[in-house]
Amino acid sequence: MRQRPFFLAFLLPALLAAGLFLAALALVLQYSFRSFIPGSLDPGAFTLENFARLWRPIYLWVLLDTFTISLLTTVFTLLLSYPVAYALVRARRDWVRTLLVVLALTPLFTGEIVRTYAWILVLGSDGFVNSLLEGLGVIAAPLAMLYTRFGVVVALVQFSMPVMIVLLATAISHVDNDCERAAANLGARPATVFWRVTLPLTMPGIVSGVIVIFAWTMSAFSTPQLIGGGKVLMISNLVYLQGLSSFNFPFAAALSLVALVLAVGSLALLQPAAKRLEAKVSPR
Amino acid sequence: MSPIFAARLRAALFWGPVGLILLYMTIPALVVVMTSFSPSELLEFPPAGLSLRWYARALSYPDFRNGFANGLIVTTFASTAALAVGSAFAYLVDRYSFRGRAALEAVLSSPLIVPHFTTGFGFLLLGAELGLTRSYAIVIAAHVLLVLPFVVRSVYVSLKNIDPRLERAAANLGASPGRVLARVTLPLLLPGMAGGWLIAAILSLTEFTASLYVTEARTQTLPVAMYGYIREYSDPTIAAISALLIIATTLLMLLANRYLGLRRILAIDAH
Amino acid sequence: MRTEQQDRAASAVELRRVSKSFGPVVAVQEFDLAIRRGEVLTLLGPSGCGKTTILNMIAGFEVPSSGEIRIDGKPVTAVPPYLRDTGMVFQSYALFPHMDVFENVAFGLKMRRLAKGAVAAEVARALEMVKLTGLEGRRVRQLSGGQQQRVALARAIVIRPKVLLLDEPLSALDKNLRAEMQIELKELHAKTGLTTVFVTHDQGEALSLSDRIVVMNRGEIQQVSAPIELYRHPANGFVASFVGEINRLPPARCTLTGGDAVFELAPGLSLAVPRRPELAVWDGRRVNLFVRPEQMAIADASSPGQACVKVRVVTHVYQGTHTLLRVDGGALGLLQLRIPGSEVIERAPVGSEIEVTLDLAQAVVLAD
Repeated sequence: MRQRPFFLAFLLPALLAAGLFLAALALVLQYSFRSFIPGSLDPGAFTLENFARLWRPIYLWVLLDTFTISLLTTVFTLLLSYPVAYALVRARRDWVRTLLVVLALTPLFTGEIVRTYAWILVLGSDGFVNSLLEGLGVIAAPLAMLYTRFGVVVALVQFSMPVMIVLLATAISHVDNDCERAAANLGARPATVFWRVTLPLTMPGIVSGVIVIFAWTMSAFSTPQLIGGGKVLMISNLVYLQGLSSFNFPFAAALSLVALVLAVGSLALLQPAAKRLEAKVSPR
Repeated sequence: MSPIFAARLRAALFWGPVGLILLYMTIPALVVVMTSFSPSELLEFPPAGLSLRWYARALSYPDFRNGFANGLIVTTFASTAALAVGSAFAYLVDRYSFRGRAALEAVLSSPLIVPHFTTGFGFLLLGAELGLTRSYAIVIAAHVLLVLPFVVRSVYVSLKNIDPRLERAAANLGASPGRVLARVTLPLLLPGMAGGWLIAAILSLTEFTASLYVTEARTQTLPVAMYGYIREYSDPTIAAISALLIIATTLLMLLANRYLGLRRILAIDAH
Repeated sequence: MRTEQQDRAASAVELRRVSKSFGPVVAVQEFDLAIRRGEVLTLLGPSGCGKTTILNMIAGFEVPSSGEIRIDGKPVTAVPPYLRDTGMVFQSYALFPHMDVFENVAFGLKMRRLAKGAVAAEVARALEMVKLTGLEGRRVRQLSGGQQQRVALARAIVIRPKVLLLDEPLSALDKNLRAEMQIELKELHAKTGLTTVFVTHDQGEALSLSDRIVVMNRGEIQQVSAPIELYRHPANGFVASFVGEINRLPPARCTLTGGDAVFELAPGLSLAVPRRPELAVWDGRRVNLFVRPEQMAIADASSPGQACVKVRVVTHVYQGTHTLLRVDGGALGLLQLRIPGSEVIERAPVGSEIEVTLDLAQAVVLAD
């Protein structure tokens, strides 16, 4: 038998943690199949009612909205993050790279409440953008941006960019600089080098970034909650309404289960594609 | 068009948009800081003057003080526990293959994908089941799971960077497995563990969605207290406390970049 | 005037007083070089000597800090890489991992907007030249190191570049493959006749592949010569010891007598050689003598009249076709001899005292 120092001692804490997490998820699963007894936090008998209820148009619309907002957010996050990631990796001066990394990553660590609140100040009817545009005489009356899908997406994109930038920057930094030089040497103009070499070689980073951001945005809560203000509902807001406002734990459980399945599902669907792409462009 | 002019034009066409995008990313923070010094109770731009009254209020507001204290308790315990569990697990993953390793890895990294509200809701139910609803224990447990993937990743990367020959050399020179771990592996892992702990602590301190489910009035953390305040009031107190958090985070990022090399940690330096 | 123009037309690439600094670091200094049409010119030097920087400046990846570069007589100093028509083979090959062999080789032709049929024909011709016909559809990572090397070559020559630039192209191959590729490179050059600039730190490669060799050190040219000339008549101590193995004897005073040149290496230790006209300049001066290992032998009856010294054997290094003999020459320091075969190991065991001859007629003499 091979020696395995510390094996059990190192394994047990991990098993305990995994056990706790699985127990929590198992309880969600269990509650989702129980009936709701109004006025009580304890669930009733076995039922499929919670899942049947999901098919009502009002909930399907929320699901569709969640999907649309996530998709838009992912697309814009990708488009805005790529140039920043590229600059972050390729800037020649060290201080520029430092500035970029700090500016790009700080939003990641200030926490969602701070970021969401900041967007309320920027987008509100007396907020920064409206005051600026009114001051410049561009608009006469404030634009409605808070409590709209537009506002939610604008905030979510900024929210998602740091992670996307990190994933893309990692991919871009792994592109062999000699490959780009070889393309230029063979007569490719800078734009051609980018489209024919750099972009294809960073495709795996793009795909994994898209997957992560899509799954992540599907489960965003505080942004739709505060910027959407009840007018824009994503699945997370329904869970909150059902669970912590109406105390309908079983239905909230069913909804959070659906959210989990959507997040894990989109990942499971796209991950193999990402793996194939990775294999295709990897040099070895 | 001369090549030099073309190169300049290209640079301008690239850096212009990059600057605008960075402005978009940064403007919310700037607006928050600006608002936090406003003397007026209403949100208005540009602010009519300079005042520190919202800072005074933010720092004396009981919910925030309690929230901050709770946050420190939760964060200290959660990120330290996550560091211990995560480092041990990363070591296992790196060194041993055993049945169920892939499954265990999948479970412990899944909090990255599982929506925070699902995790939070699950731990709320778990807390009720175990009779821990009003305790820190369930909050800490939820936070440990949420930050664990980051710690594991950070330590795992450091482990991968350790030359296995160093440990073999120590063993060859007569060090027992325990001494190899204590005298060679751990010292080499320290930067990775410190980085992992720091990320875990920041994420735990600012975590909101799951915390909303697992905390209650007595155990609520700062973000939850702030959320409550935003729903009740609309004065710039939140701007003041947000500004403090933003400035603290920026300083922390600058320090982390200076001493730990952010770009190296994130593996985003061109080679 | 006329001759200068002829010179210029004969030069495929010309570097005029080219300097390049990276911040405070000077990589290349006042570099003057004319590369003749059709020749294989090697830039040889230790790592960090600036040879790759020169290559990068010819390709346009680096812009000189000062000076001018001309290709085919036209100044290209400000021309971007994609308009230069140079074909570069990178040390890492830099094959495009997301394309197959055909697409890699066709890339440069597509950039030149060749018709599809012409592209296919040219690619086929280039692949035939590097003996890779039939592998068009292979992915880069399915190729061996040697095959990747050939694809990189094909990709560079297919565009019929004005100059072929090879950046240590053989360094990633193992030893046997390297020898084989050296021969193939020679054959390829015979077929294409491309002006070629070859960068290497391997003096063996340089000697066997080049028409001319530029030895560089610290960003400056040490000597530009044909391989044989370089080996026989190195211009200075750096070249002497960088190209081939050589023994540097301690500084000596040179005195010309009637028929001999006498080198006094130490009190009581003098070596004499028959006087040659070119030794005249050294009369009365301190010089350094350099002797190659193969210019030394164990003294026997057949070598009367040659300079002879007593030494003690320190080590043998058996190398198959020959044996390297390391000996302690007392005031001469440690010397290395190259003796054919292996008999010497028994004839002159470690610790034994022997007499060795130095063929000073062939020795290199340089100022101290």
